[in-house]
Amino acid sequence: MSSALTAPTLASRWRQRLWRVSPADLDLVVLRHSRIYILPTPRGLAVIATLTIMLLTSMNYALALGYALTFLAGGMVAAALLATFRNLAGLSLSPMVAGEAFAGGCMDFTLSLASGSRDRTGISVAARDGAAVIADLPAGATRPVRVTVPALRRGRLPLGRVTLASDFPLGLWRGWAYVHFPLTASVYPAPEASPPALPTGRQGSEARRAAQPSDAELAGLRDYVNGDPPNRIAWKAVARGAGWYTKQFEGAGGSGALELDWADLPPALDVEVRLSRFTAWILAAEREARAFSMRLPGKELPQGQGAGHRRSALTALALFEP
Amino acid sequence: MSTKKAALPLTTAQTYWLAALLLCAQVPLWVNVLPWVAIAGTGLVVARALLPQRSLAAGKSRTVLLPLLALAVAVGIRVQLGYFLARDPCVEFLYVLVGIKFIESRSTRDGTLLICLGLFLAVTQFFYAQTILAALLGLPTLLALGGALAALRGASGQPVSWTAQLAVPARLIVQGIPLAALLFVLFPRLAGPLWGSPADAGARTGLSERMAPGSISELSLSDAVAFRVEFRGTPPAPPDRYWRGPVLARFNGREWSALFRLQTGTFARREGPVIDYTVTLEPHGKLWLFALEHPAALPRPPADDATTAGPLNEIAHLTFDQQLLSRNTVTQTVRYTQRSVLRGSVLAMAGDATDNLQLPRDNARTAAFARELRARVDSDQAYIAAVLDRFHNEPYVYTLAPPLLGQDPVDAFLFDTRRGFCEHYAGAFVLLLRAAGIPARVVTGYQGGEMNPGGGYMIVRQSDAHAWAEALVDGHWQRFDPTAAVAPSRIEGGLGAALPNSDQVPYLARMEMTWFKNLRLHWDAINYGWQRGVVGFNIDRQRDLLSEFGVDNAHPLQLALMIIGMACFWSLAILGISKLRRDSTDEETALWRRACRRLARAGLARRPDEGPLDFADRAALRWPRWSPLLRRIGESYARLHYGPRQAGRAALLAQLRTSVDALPGARQLKTGSG
Repeated sequence: MSSALTAPTLASRWRQRLWRVSPADLDLVVLRHSRIYILPTPRGLAVIATLTIMLLTSMNYALALGYALTFLAGGMVAAALLATFRNLAGLSLSPMVAGEAFAGGCMDFTLSLASGSRDRTGISVAARDGAAVIADLPAGATRPVRVTVPALRRGRLPLGRVTLASDFPLGLWRGWAYVHFPLTASVYPAPEASPPALPTGRQGSEARRAAQPSDAELAGLRDYVNGDPPNRIAWKAVARGAGWYTKQFEGAGGSGALELDWADLPPALDVEVRLSRFTAWILAAEREARAFSMRLPGKELPQGQGAGHRRSALTALALFEP
Repeated sequence: MSTKKAALPLTTAQTYWLAALLLCAQVPLWVNVLPWVAIAGTGLVVARALLPQRSLAAGKSRTVLLPLLALAVAVGIRVQLGYFLARDPCVEFLYVLVGIKFIESRSTRDGTLLICLGLFLAVTQFFYAQTILAALLGLPTLLALGGALAALRGASGQPVSWTAQLAVPARLIVQGIPLAALLFVLFPRLAGPLWGSPADAGARTGLSERMAPGSISELSLSDAVAFRVEFRGTPPAPPDRYWRGPVLARFNGREWSALFRLQTGTFARREGPVIDYTVTLEPHGKLWLFALEHPAALPRPPADDATTAGPLNEIAHLTFDQQLLSRNTVTQTVRYTQRSVLRGSVLAMAGDATDNLQLPRDNARTAAFARELRARVDSDQAYIAAVLDRFHNEPYVYTLAPPLLGQDPVDAFLFDTRRGFCEHYAGAFVLLLRAAGIPARVVTGYQGGEMNPGGGYMIVRQSDAHAWAEALVDGHWQRFDPTAAVAPSRIEGGLGAALPNSDQVPYLARMEMTWFKNLRLHWDAINYGWQRGVVGFNIDRQRDLLSEFGVDNAHPLQLALMIIGMACFWSLAILGISKLRRDSTDEETALWRRACRRLARAGLARRPDEGPLDFADRAALRWPRWSPLLRRIGESYARLHYGPRQAGRAALLAQLRTSVDALPGARQLKTGSG
């Protein structure tokens, strides 16, 4: 009875220890021998096979110097194994932030890689399906490493298991270690490709206003105020050294606050299409620097503007469950 | 990931490194391969390194021309050597093959194959020479191997200078030396080959089981060392230095050859002084072991005591004609301890008298002369003395360059040309005795030897090769050396003293002790040490060495365990050095991380953006019971890590250490939080 209860936990503990299947690495992870695996690369296997043939030849022909050359080369291969281990041992990795991504794009996760007391060469960091980032670090350095995970659909995207690997110094051994942080990001819905024009307000209400031009005309510059979105800063002026200004557009600003309401959309519309349309509208509203409010079934966002507001709106769309 | 990387195209730097490795493997073989093979193989490697690859192996030439070239090379080697499926032709073919493969190499995967081929080619040079020079020539190969591997790994980013590229492999080689030495000493050695016969190393210089006019004089032109001897006690005088080798009793009118009989010999009676010595015999690809006349015991491995010599330790046996034949072909350096009795006499075996009277029908003048001379004297003894007198008194000349002999060579030599080398005199002498009804045979071997003043041992060279005779007189075999009758100085002073100056004699056989000869002898002493200690490190030497450390008759499994244990020790030593270095630099961080880990296990992880003071505050709020301790840890770490370098550092570090030690375990923290 008791063994039946403990057996799966023992097995799962081994699975966790061997493959780091669950995200149990909370903070900084320092790579130690218990985490580092080393196996020969294909080239390493070829060289080891050659050394074996050389050894057999030396044995058959009683070549003392053949033995010597074989063993010296073998000593180098063995020392390379230890060097591969040392290149990874003591390396530390900690989670930093996740980026933003729309479904169908790629999500960047930023991790912090610290070299500890030794120079590190050719450390590759890769998430499950992403391309590897290769970094060289001098001793005592800490470097942000951005790993990419394909974001296929909206919703929560965990970083998943990260693999640190290196075949330094001779490419004969590949050492690797798994680190599994509980770092997740929200993948926003993909914006609808050609959305209808921005709504003006509640459908059928008297407060309906004239349609806004989708592309605003530049009206002028005003002094920069903290919190203005970066894409509206007059960077050319900043570059000239003329000071900080924010671009103002015709019809922008408070001219028309946008109300995005789930209920205003055609009732036949699919949930995902609705989410995509809202995403596209939020992006459009941001381009035009218009405040917006959003109402979803079970969730309401008051009117607001700026990067933080946008992020919370898009996150709500990402995690929306009908 | 690494499998995808294997197909990257080769960069210029990688090509240079591969070329360096291949050249390092090829250069020592230059003198051993056919000239055209050397030129073709090396030329292809150099061409690939210097010319753009597209011009060499584009399209059709890659798929058609290069395989055709390889085939042509194989055929050429087959035609020139007369055979292909043997060691030497394969080395020749591999020599060119690495060049051909290099020409068509494009990717790093080809690079891997080239590294393996080059590495194997590097070991083949030791088929031909295992000298100190050959060992030195092997070292650049090792460095080039490391450099090529490091280059193939793919340097991300900026190009690396070749010295920087070599720094890491050089360090790895140095680190690997203890392991290599360990394996060299402990790896179980074999007594014989694993497959085939490794004796096809071409014609080695040395005696053979046949003797025709000219065969020993040809050998006398070689300075090569036949064997070296260390004597226990004083070495014998030059006239006693007869090293017995193949005994030849069959004669076909021109050539002497050995006689085979299934019979074990008996040792000579101890009538003269007994002498013990150790022989280090260079491989000669044959069976016989050399011993001073006459062997008084079987050769033994050097370390064994005489008391432990049993049938298992027998490395050779004594034949009916007093030859020592090894159990295995001497394909590697052999060392054995030998006991001989000088001037001992050997009793005749059954069959000796009849076997040693065989006469061919030709050389009729010799036979007639013998019968006539025998009729004039009254005993066999007197007859032998008369023959030797004839050699001494008549104008016979001892020379390395005798005239050619046609039909009936012994007749022509004895009565017409009268110029010959030791094989002529020994052969003619035996024939004269047989014609007179006295059983006699030819003994070949070496006569002489030179003491090396620096090393305290004797060198016997191929130029000391000699032939003498043995006659059965009064039921005993007795040695007669007709050469001594012609040129007594040959026996006293060696070849250089006996030959006229016009003859071409190997330089070292001349007796003048010039400074150059002195230098050569010192070099030989070094070489001898090298041969004994390194090249001759075989199963026997390994056993000796192990028994010095108290390991007798080690089982291969025992050796394997020793190797594994010491290899573990080696890796810990190499890893340990770096661990010490790391801990000394950053102790406070290690302590701080330990504390953070414990708190994280208890449920409070430090946020990445949180400094030590903030985190300590947060932890103190969570666990009020230990708040002073937690705050002290955060504070002392912050002051140690971020504060100025001040005098009280050691005390602060001690405080951090005691505080972290005092921190309760994760379980206690968990239960104590509520």
